[in-house]
Amino acid sequence: MTLELENVGRNINKQWIVENICLTVADNECLALVGPSGCGKSTTLRLIAGLDPVSAGSIHIRGRDITSLSPSERSVGMVFQSYALLPHLTVFENLELGLRVRGVPKPERRFKIKGILDLVQLWNRADNRPAELSGGQRQRVALARALLRDPEVYLLDEPMSNLDAQLREDIRPELRRLVLEQRKPTIYVTHDQHEAMAMAQRIAVLHEGRIEQIDTPYNLYHNPESLFVARFIGRPQINCLKGDSGSIRAVRPESIRFSDEGLSGKLQSREWLGNSQLLFLETQQGVIRMMTSPDQGIPAQIRLTWRAEDEILFDADTGLRSRR
Amino acid sequence: MPLLILLIPSLLFLVAVFALPLFRYTWLSFHADSVMTGLVAIPNQGANWQRFIHDTRYLQDLFQTLRFSVVSVTAEIVLGLVIALILHQPMRKRALIRSSALIPWALPTTVMALGWRWIFNTPYGPIDRLTQSWLGQSLNALGEPSIAWITTVYADIWKTTPFVALILLAGLQTIPSDLYEAAKLEGAGSWICLRRITIPLLLPYLGLALMFRLAQAFGVFDLVQVMTGGGPASSTESIALYAYWNALRFLDFGYSATIMIGSFVILSSLILITWLVVTTARNRSQQSLAR
Repeated sequence: MTLELENVGRNINKQWIVENICLTVADNECLALVGPSGCGKSTTLRLIAGLDPVSAGSIHIRGRDITSLSPSERSVGMVFQSYALLPHLTVFENLELGLRVRGVPKPERRFKIKGILDLVQLWNRADNRPAELSGGQRQRVALARALLRDPEVYLLDEPMSNLDAQLREDIRPELRRLVLEQRKPTIYVTHDQHEAMAMAQRIAVLHEGRIEQIDTPYNLYHNPESLFVARFIGRPQINCLKGDSGSIRAVRPESIRFSDEGLSGKLQSREWLGNSQLLFLETQQGVIRMMTSPDQGIPAQIRLTWRAEDEILFDADTGLRSRR
Repeated sequence: MPLLILLIPSLLFLVAVFALPLFRYTWLSFHADSVMTGLVAIPNQGANWQRFIHDTRYLQDLFQTLRFSVVSVTAEIVLGLVIALILHQPMRKRALIRSSALIPWALPTTVMALGWRWIFNTPYGPIDRLTQSWLGQSLNALGEPSIAWITTVYADIWKTTPFVALILLAGLQTIPSDLYEAAKLEGAGSWICLRRITIPLLLPYLGLALMFRLAQAFGVFDLVQVMTGGGPASSTESIALYAYWNALRFLDFGYSATIMIGSFVILSSLILITWLVVTTARNRSQQSLAR
């Protein structure tokens, strides 16, 4: 395992911002950190980069303890949400600054920058300032700067959240090609769970500074360990119904079926989503979200059912999964 | 047309406070208007301007005013930047420290000038006492022509550095912190960060502070009037002081107007030249950076 975090925590004014973070990311693996805002995902990234001091635990890269090293000694390449490009310098100069600081001689600097800008297909924009580039191009320059360092770990902090939805989808394969082909451990922070599922092999869900669950996208969706994960992963949100003896029954909207018997309900509203439709059905158990095919007709007498194996049980007090 | 009507109030205001005095003084500079003429303006065929061109006292005052402006503004910008960088650091009670750093600027000039006059008083002020006991010699900070101008510069720096620091602090706060973080990841130290990030992104604010302060320093009046009254031996006399004396001591309004208009022209051309030099230098440095 190349990147290891062991019980890492960050404490400000006697309050734990993140606590007991344990992660291992292998070579050639992309791990996504997701969670609601303020859950500590960006803080975790900053701890790995060395931009914030670690209050507890240790961080290792290839067995080397980097917990107390300065950011530049850690060999991490980071892409910032804002791209962090200097507005008064051209693309070329922005990339050159780091090489110059590290004492790379001039001909080599030019050679390296040309290579990396060819890779991100921006060599023709080398003499432009960031303000003259589109959002997607700026993002690629920020990425090129991280690639130029040839680091042992890549850290991406919401790299696409400043781009519009269409561009984000277009850039995803590009980003996969550029970063994941480096075969280095990559941590990808995002608040967008679709992006996390598309980019990462494993996802860590953070909640109030702690890791709720680390798993593959498939398992997070189908086998959430806690009610928080079940609710956070998957849109439209999972249905939560009151079960017997203090339990909560959670059912995904696409598992709900019309039937001749079961929970009776009334259609409240519907949303057309193109390839599907989302029905909001009022029942004694509250509003139930049902995802179904767009050509599904609505019966006069609505009765809802689902298969027992599609139901996930949680303990109402602890919020944890309870096995039947 | 209706839109132009809406502009009339602000135009009237500008005419009243800016254009009218300018025209009036330009007109007056071509007239004799003093006690000799019974304070009636009489055209004098450019005699004021003849006198102005050959006025060695004015030339001396122009040199002294420029010396005062350049030295004090340079020091204020350097010191102001240092103070702004310090105040920008996270620290306990930052709001309190920031506001107390502004106190010198908030003091009325006459009050603080009077204070410095006493502090530098010879032989009873604390500064003179110190030099007397340490060096065995009186500094005579306000009585020695070669030192007195430095004393006024010192008081000006003390008073207006906080103002420059305030402008630069506002500028520092506009620089996003992730620019520094990205540079830190690349291994840049604080010197590189200052040279490559802070100074370039602060340039508009440095320019603003420079303009404000140069214009103010060039017209310095109250500070010098209270501290030295222009002396000793006219060594701290500024252009504004000279113009004031011509008008209100010698009651020669025509020549006073000539001094003001002449100084206005000189100052404007100096600013124009500075601006041209700065912009061509910037363009040249950009071209050289572009490989």
